Amino acid sequence: MNAITLDRPALDALHAQARWLSLLLAAIGLHVFESALPNLGPWFKPGLANIVTLLTLVMLGPRAAVSLALGRVLLGSMFIGTLLTPTFFLSLSGTIAATTVILAAWRWLPGTSLVGISLLGAMAHMVAQFVVVEHFYIQQPALYHLLPPMLLLSAVTGWINGALAAYLCARVRP
Amino acid sequence: MPSLATAAPARQDLRRLLSGTRIDRLLLIAGLACIAALWLWLQREVPAGPPMVLIYHGKHLIAEYPIPSEGAPIHVQAKGDIGVSDIVIDTHGVHFESSPCIGKQCILAGTKHHPGDIIACVPNRILVSIRGSGARDDGYDGIVQ
Repeated sequence: MNAITLDRPALDALHAQARWLSLLLAAIGLHVFESALPNLGPWFKPGLANIVTLLTLVMLGPRAAVSLALGRVLLGSMFIGTLLTPTFFLSLSGTIAATTVILAAWRWLPGTSLVGISLLGAMAHMVAQFVVVEHFYIQQPALYHLLPPMLLLSAVTGWINGALAAYLCARVRP
Repeated sequence: MPSLATAAPARQDLRRLLSGTRIDRLLLIAGLACIAALWLWLQREVPAGPPMVLIYHGKHLIAEYPIPSEGAPIHVQAKGDIGVSDIVIDTHGVHFESSPCIGKQCILAGTKHHPGDIIACVPNRILVSIRGSGARDDGYDGIVQ
């Protein structure tokens, strides 16, 4: 009988995968928790799950952060029962925009801390959601009258989330 | 559990992190300036005239009513993509009475009465917008298309 030999993955790789999975679970948990929060405005969430995206970016790098952000939206939507509904597409578009801006700021904006990166990500998230709603659902420019107050709220929450992410990073990072 | 001795520096750390770097603060100022400019520009775009409630389904205007200064409330049955939304216009403003959507964000938005205010039901693709900025004028009862 031939013995089947399997290549054992390196311990470091397993460690990184375990970290990514635990961060993904935390992000999904926050995504579900946010959906249960009282309504703060149309399409507005505090963006707590973005804290985990920022943590992943610092701890595991850009690729892990992108896959975590997308995985969180997909699996989180399955948990709260909004998969393929308008809520899902709004969340997905906002996450893609926010993650793109976060990665760009991380790479090309020197002197910016997680606070500034989170601020830009939160605002990009909100703008993307409005653009998607205006293009595919409501199709009325009057919708943009809601944008300034929602952007102001997202700037505040983005700033606070960035500070929380930096605070956690300083304690969690080895 | 952190002791009192470690909790105080942790609080100071968080306070320091909340202030951000110089670039962070510049980004915040730039962002706030953009929001203020957008807000002012959108306010200027609101046409003058008596406050009117416009109800849209997607690109199409379904109905247009002035906000009444007295009398019985007006009920508008707006047919959207997933069903009929019941919209009420009364002396206090306009609000969604019922909606076939799951989240009911449109109902939770409450009553709106200021020019420039909007209520949107994204799943049903219904938008309610208040236009006009002048005094109320009861010249006509409404236009329904």
